[in-house]
Amino acid sequence: MNTKEALEIGRQIAEEWVWKTETDAPEPNRLDVTLTSIDDLVPMVVALRVKRLGYLAAITGLDLGSESGELEVMYHFCTAAAVITLRVRVSREQASVPSLCSVIPSAEAFERELSEMFGVEVTGLPNPLRLYLPDDWPENVYPLRKDMDEETLSLQETLGEF
Amino acid sequence: MHSDKTLESFTVPIGPQHPALKEPEHFLITVDGEIVTKAVVRLGYAHRGVEKATESRNWVQNLYLLERICGICSHIHATAYCLGVEQLAAVEVPPRAQAIRVLVAEMERIHSHLLWLGVAAHEAGFDTLFMYSWRDRETIMDLLESLSGNRVNYSVNVLGGVKIDIDDDLAQLILDGIHYLEERTHHYLDVVTSDAMFLQRTRGIGVMNRSQAEVLGTVGPTARASNVARDIRVEAPYGAYANYPVWITLDERGDLEARFVVRIKELFESFRIIREIVKTLPPGDLTTRIPRRIKAGETVSRVEAPRGELFYFIKSNGTDIPERIKVRTPTICNMMSVVKLAIGHQLADVPMIVVGIDPCFSCNDRMVLIDHGRNKQSGWTWEALRRYGIEYYQGHPR
Repeated sequence: MNTKEALEIGRQIAEEWVWKTETDAPEPNRLDVTLTSIDDLVPMVVALRVKRLGYLAAITGLDLGSESGELEVMYHFCTAAAVITLRVRVSREQASVPSLCSVIPSAEAFERELSEMFGVEVTGLPNPLRLYLPDDWPENVYPLRKDMDEETLSLQETLGEF
Repeated sequence: MHSDKTLESFTVPIGPQHPALKEPEHFLITVDGEIVTKAVVRLGYAHRGVEKATESRNWVQNLYLLERICGICSHIHATAYCLGVEQLAAVEVPPRAQAIRVLVAEMERIHSHLLWLGVAAHEAGFDTLFMYSWRDRETIMDLLESLSGNRVNYSVNVLGGVKIDIDDDLAQLILDGIHYLEERTHHYLDVVTSDAMFLQRTRGIGVMNRSQAEVLGTVGPTARASNVARDIRVEAPYGAYANYPVWITLDERGDLEARFVVRIKELFESFRIIREIVKTLPPGDLTTRIPRRIKAGETVSRVEAPRGELFYFIKSNGTDIPERIKVRTPTICNMMSVVKLAIGHQLADVPMIVVGIDPCFSCNDRMVLIDHGRNKQSGWTWEALRRYGIEYYQGHPR
């Protein structure tokens, strides 16, 4: 499948199927699909898998700032040069997305990273333990959020008892 | 006679510090006798907070920071970043600079694959091959040093171009070096496919078929050794690869031997591209001007690192500091395949299976720990470290 076909199939799935989405092509090789409902995420990923657009290259978290009160989660699917990005927004206070592990087992590492770095709860994750952060990293401190205050993490908290 | 003794499982911790691992990583291997029944990996021992750190440095500073994510594939990290930023700034890089970027990227691939060949041979107990391949790797290290002044972290890229040039003497030096390495590589291909002892450690070990490789999301030579045609240089040629097309190297067998063969065959492809570039290097400028502030926008930059696809997501908010840079390195994709592949193998094969994906833990673990260097109060001062040392040894007499 070449880049053009992949983008066309991705666009068809996003626009002509039942779920509510907005599509955008910010660059010639990219298709951004903004999902308005989080419930559509897993069915949409299944649709991409069925159409064999299923190489999940990365999951990117993005903090939109405390004014907007939202986090954005991006799922990048790559075929040839095409990058199809599913974008969902979740509130900062109750950030939660469903796990893709039942459809794409390799999503596990990306989801664990997302969850510890941004404080997005990933429901249905088989192994929700920390992947990168130390075991004694303080609870509810999410390093890649924009408002994480480095100074509040004292030496004691970061390094534990010694 | 009846025995209702339940089967006990035994868990072997490997790492984070272990002679079989060249970098810190922790594996918990559950075994039944000698056979692995479960494997768990714990990452993060080389975490440095690079992604967070990019959000407090300007675009130029970040180039040097991101290059230091990994010592082995530093150039490809810088290339991925530069391509993304140049895309956002809508800047066209001169053709000569693009060709030099690819030239150095391929030289880096040679150095990385030869390094891996040595490490992998060492894990298999074949130290002669390890010594020879590392001796020959010095050839390419010397070339990289004469090109850039550094053995690692070449700093060849700048935003908008490159900072090194190649003259006739250097070109001849490169061609001579490549000629020597090509001869040696033929020999290595022969060794890894014919040495009976070595084949016992690689043939039929860690087999991953094509659909497994796809489901586990592997990338790079690990995927190509399982016949998954995934190579960004071929699928989405970036920079000068449009002018110097690459032939993809595939193997159907999916075992450790296939991973050796694929990587060694890729070396021949790198030699060919380097020769072609040196002979047909386009004339012209090395750099173009790039603004200090990058236009607001988002881009995705994908390149083929020696270990597989390297993925950068870059978002600019129109200032001279990036809003977000996401780095997804190839090892994280391949690492999950290791814990699945290890199951059912002998414990002694685990180091070989781990090394088979060419793991790079520094790349993997690049992300978060607080940057103590900038905030003295919350970091280790020399005094605190000294006190800690004294207290530690009082509690643990030697």
